[in-house]
Amino acid sequence: MSKRRNFPDSNRRNFLKGAGLVSAAALTPLTAGAQVSAPKQNLKAPVPGPTQIAVETLPPAKDPVNQTSSGGDFMVDVIKTLNFDYLAMNCASAFRGIHESFINYGKNTKPEILTCPHEEIAVHMAQGYAKMEGKPMAMMCHGTVGLQHASMALYNAWCDRVPVYVMIGNIIEGDKRAPGVEWVHSAIDPAAIVRDFVKWDDQPASLQHFAESAVRAYKIAMTPPMAPVLLSLDAELQENPIVDPESLRIPKLANVVPPVGDAGALGDAAKMLVAAENPVIICDRLARSPAGMSRIVELAETLQCAVVDNAGRMNFPSRHPLNQSFRRSVISQADVILAIEMNDVFGSLNAFSDRIARATRPTVKKGAKIITLGLRDTYMKSNYQDFGRYQDVDLAIAGDGEASLALLIEAVKRFIDPSRKSAYDTRGKKLAAAHQAMVEQTKSDATLGWDASPITTARMCAEVYAQIKDEDWSMVGTSIRLSWPHRLWNFDKPYRWNGVSGGAGVGYNLPASLGAALANKQHGRLTVSFGGDGDFMFAPGTLWTAAHHHIPMLYIVQNNRAYHQEYMYLTAMAARRSRGIENAHIGTTLTDPNIDFATVARGFGVHGEGPVTNPNDLAPALKRAIAAVKSGQPALVDVVTDPR
Amino acid sequence: MPRFERAVAFTVTFALAAFCAGAMTIGARAQDAPPGDAVNGKRLYLNDNCFTCHGRAGQGGAYNGPAPALAKTAMPFEGFLGQIRNPSNDMPAYAAQVMSDQAVADIYAYMQSLPGPQQAKDIAILND
Repeated sequence: MSKRRNFPDSNRRNFLKGAGLVSAAALTPLTAGAQVSAPKQNLKAPVPGPTQIAVETLPPAKDPVNQTSSGGDFMVDVIKTLNFDYLAMNCASAFRGIHESFINYGKNTKPEILTCPHEEIAVHMAQGYAKMEGKPMAMMCHGTVGLQHASMALYNAWCDRVPVYVMIGNIIEGDKRAPGVEWVHSAIDPAAIVRDFVKWDDQPASLQHFAESAVRAYKIAMTPPMAPVLLSLDAELQENPIVDPESLRIPKLANVVPPVGDAGALGDAAKMLVAAENPVIICDRLARSPAGMSRIVELAETLQCAVVDNAGRMNFPSRHPLNQSFRRSVISQADVILAIEMNDVFGSLNAFSDRIARATRPTVKKGAKIITLGLRDTYMKSNYQDFGRYQDVDLAIAGDGEASLALLIEAVKRFIDPSRKSAYDTRGKKLAAAHQAMVEQTKSDATLGWDASPITTARMCAEVYAQIKDEDWSMVGTSIRLSWPHRLWNFDKPYRWNGVSGGAGVGYNLPASLGAALANKQHGRLTVSFGGDGDFMFAPGTLWTAAHHHIPMLYIVQNNRAYHQEYMYLTAMAARRSRGIENAHIGTTLTDPNIDFATVARGFGVHGEGPVTNPNDLAPALKRAIAAVKSGQPALVDVVTDPR
Repeated sequence: MPRFERAVAFTVTFALAAFCAGAMTIGARAQDAPPGDAVNGKRLYLNDNCFTCHGRAGQGGAYNGPAPALAKTAMPFEGFLGQIRNPSNDMPAYAAQVMSDQAVADIYAYMQSLPGPQQAKDIAILND
């Protein structure tokens, strides 16, 4: 409901009276005569010159030193209506006005400030949090240098279709900027550097403008397809007294109901699916609430069809017999493919050869019908190419995947021919058998190098699962191509997993995991995350935030002492050119000295274990770390692993 | 500097396990391989970065896609050599000038010297 701003005390109603200012005019001007009397010869101080005399004799400028209202307080009133729990930030003078309002006027609650030693940490925390909690976190930074720090994380959130509510500080009026730093920290269009990967931005020119844009920004961010939004807050508006408080109102927020696909088109899709011999569902960023997983399970079980989960969200239970995510040959056998909320349909339906010619070939059967469902086609931008290559499809349905599934399921049930039920059951049994065979093969694969040092990634993941499987666990991060958890563990609840970075910008994993851990904390879940050593080194200060805010999280560093994907790329380049393969470690490895992540962790006030090099030492180290996590602390285990 | 990992530019982060299984199902003809020096093979396997994709224990791994396990590989030597010279997927090709046939034979011998898979049922934590 729209409301006039209610001030907490009656004095606040009188902002206008006297403009809330305590005037510097209280200073008593000195009379000219008192100051210009003839100096005595014995005085040691220099005689005032004409300039000094003028300064001291002119009437004082109107330069008040106190105020009883501030635009920042009103801004906090507006922000509080948006129900943020947290505000992640690295402090900066460009938003000192609203910062002070958050802590003293807003009492540092709803939102509570999270101190982050880098803006990229703040944004990534917000990204991980939003995916786990289903609501955005606010983030605040300097309008120029801070936003430049934050930009890569914003790109990750954009590609990941995650709402992050960003506020930046800026000083719009040139004559209000102090010489020096405030000039280099100001811009006429500070959002320009991130406009390609935020959904909407504004730089309000008044407090009322701010109120409306603040509510609008929230609404836009939370309307699927979700994405970051940005507000640039003028320092004058934040810091100075409110000129006309009675004219201000806070608009009403109404979240947009996610758009559902056209009923006729969903009906056509249903007919194709029920008539298919081998329908396959592929999904990526589908489940944005707990309902998403149950709906995709219901659709798959109704059809007894294969599901390939690209794991952009927690879409489909890992041990469900219809889960064929690690048996993608089902795609090449499909006659109807339903692709839901995919960023890159082409990438899933075609093979790409990373050789000189860089050729592609379709992996789908000729004549297979392809249906897309999602909002990917409804909103995109031109510059950054996160939309992937164009894919021919037969039916493209614009609609939120999760919301549209209810109608689709209903239509599928309506169109199923009961006489085909036994064929469906047979199909389901075949898929279940194939799933079980895949599980057995995975377990066998995992035994290779079981006792090796460096520790195999399979052993590492098996040891971790053994320690957490009886807890209410939530895995919120994984290092590049570490698929063992999804192949071995039982991901059976909507919060067991929350996806990957989106933009593949390294440096996501540690801070995004911490954001998700913060969300999990209030639900009493045990958060576990794997992250690479290369990723860790981008934002190690995240650990200080974890310790400072007492956020429990078990963080496993998969320490292969390299930017290993690049190490392999360099090897491939050298092999292609038949020279110097043995030099591929140059510029790609993190050795000499080896990094002791446990010691780094302890330096930040985090429980540290390792480096663990003997696989038999892993279980005891994990037990100690988990004990620390269960006591409310973050803990890190440095596991020296084989590459992949 | 924030970096992009091309390998995960696609949202598909998982290795395709089917590929891994493929290399293991070819008929076993290891006894037909030319004589190889497993000790030198180990040195080459590590020095020429075979381990970066296939693992130090030959357990397999992932590059752009899955890199198959090679420990006790059932792939015949001819297939092994062919895959190195003219790979069927994104694996880099190793020409004879950087990896001789004898070097491949040594690496093959090293792969055959490694322990193969154990019985998963005997490892309790793999059965949770």
